[in-house]
Order: sequence, then structure tokens, then C-alpha cells
Amino acid sequence: MKTIENEINQNLMPEESLQIINSMINAAKNKLADDGFHLIFWGWLVTFCALTQYITLKLNIEWGGWVWMLMPLGGIVSGIYGHKQGKKQKVKTHIDSYLGFVWGGFIIAMAITLGFGYAHGIKSTYFFLMLLYGLATFISGGILNFKPLIYGSLFSFAFAILSVFLGEIDQFLCISAALILSYIIPGHMLRSKFKSQQHA
Amino acid sequence: MLKELDPLLHSQLRLAIVSLLVGVKEAEFTYLKEQTNATAGNLSVQIQKLKEAGYIEIEKKFKDNYPQTICKITTTGIKAFEQYVEVIQNYLKPKK
Repeated sequence: MKTIENEINQNLMPEESLQIINSMINAAKNKLADDGFHLIFWGWLVTFCALTQYITLKLNIEWGGWVWMLMPLGGIVSGIYGHKQGKKQKVKTHIDSYLGFVWGGFIIAMAITLGFGYAHGIKSTYFFLMLLYGLATFISGGILNFKPLIYGSLFSFAFAILSVFLGEIDQFLCISAALILSYIIPGHMLRSKFKSQQHA
Repeated sequence: MLKELDPLLHSQLRLAIVSLLVGVKEAEFTYLKEQTNATAGNLSVQIQKLKEAGYIEIEKKFKDNYPQTICKITTTGIKAFEQYVEVIQNYLKPKK
């Protein structure tokens, strides 16, 4: 882009003004706000835990539940990554802000569901977790205008419904499938789009 | 011919700054510098003028012990920008 330096306004034509406005607005608009890291990271981590729990329950191994202790560790990794990214970020778009509220609300709802959902039985906890996965990715997909995330979110809704008809152990398979289709696959697609934009 | 245009916005650099800020929530000084390719000195002067007019807000803080300047457009700035665009569009309308 040519250097914008001059202070003399008399020669600035309306067409040039519009050109400046267009190019500056597009500079911010075309920036993809999410690199997909959190979707991929949490997708794989929770899928790993859910599958480990499923296998250990099937094999009558008692320690399976301990695998969920990886969650706080994941929170730390995610927090550090988010903090580092925040430091690098030179501009905050409205999209960044909306996504922050969506996922902030998601974390609160998740904590409440995990903390108090058992009052209605563990099955309803998993049901609500999958609804939350779907809701957060559906809204994020809409905000980012990224269709794979919107379509992916529909699988979480579908698996939430399916989970109602399955036994408790099979809920872990539902969670894994929901995460693979709603988080991991769209997350990798988002990351590759983000990276291709970085190199463009 | 262009006397109706806001003189504060009818400058390449100030218009570029405001156009950038209209599309985002807030931006660092370094981001504005990168996007406009302006010199730090000129950019400082222009954002100060926009601040004095109430078009933008400037927040100064520290990030990793380095000073950081964050710029954000105000409601007055958005109105002025919309008005400017409207006037420009009128100029560009084909004359009957």
C-alpha cells in the first residue's frame, strides 16, 4: 500500500477518499479472528478423556475417571496460549469481542452443568454438555461466517438427542463423536484457513 | 467544491485512521502505523488532533514494560465518519 502521509487536503478527491475508506475497512474486515487452536486442543483432549473413560468402564478398570484430571491442566495450557496470543494481538475487532462473550458464557454454563447437573442424573449432565458444545460452535460459526463450524455444531445437537436413548457408558461415545464432528474437524479446517490467510 | 466535507476527516491519514477504527473495537498505535504506512511522528500528531475533536479515545498503558497506545473510535467519531461518507456519496452521484 502506498504511504499515507500528506497533510494537504485540497487535492484529495472524493474517489480517493472512498478508496482509502474501502482499503482501510477491508484491512480489518478480512482478518480471520480465530486460529482454531482452542477448538482443536479441547476437542482432542476431551475426546481422549471420554474414550479412555469409555474403554476403562467397558473393561471394568477403576482408574478411568482419573483421566478427567487432565481438564485443569488443559485449562492452564489454554489460558497460557490465550494470554500469549492476547499479547501479540495489536487490534481487537468486534468479532473478537463477541467470541469472547460466547465462550465466556459457555465456560460458565459448562462449570454450572458439571457442578450441579448431577442433581438430575449424570445422563442429563452429558445431554446438556453436548447442547452447550453445539450452541457455542453454532454461534461462533455464525459470527465467523464459517460454515463447517455451523454444520459441525448440528452433530452435537444430534448426539445430544441420541444420548437420551443410550446407556450411561455409551454417553462417552456420543461425547467423543460430537467433539470430533463439531470441534476437531471444523477446528482443523478453521486453522488451515487461518494459516493460508497468514501466508497470503 | 468540497467545502461541506469535515476538514478534520478530509485528510488522507486521518481518514485512514478513522476508517480503520470504525471497523474494529480498538487498535494499537503500531497496528495503525503498519496499516497506514505512516511515520510514528505524523501518526502521533494526527491521532492527537482526532482526540482533541472527540473523534477517538486514546488509552496509554504498559505491556511487558513497553508503553502501549490504544485507540478507539467514539460515538462522535462514528457520526462524523457517517456524515463524511454521505457527503462523499453525494459528490459522486451523477449530476442531472
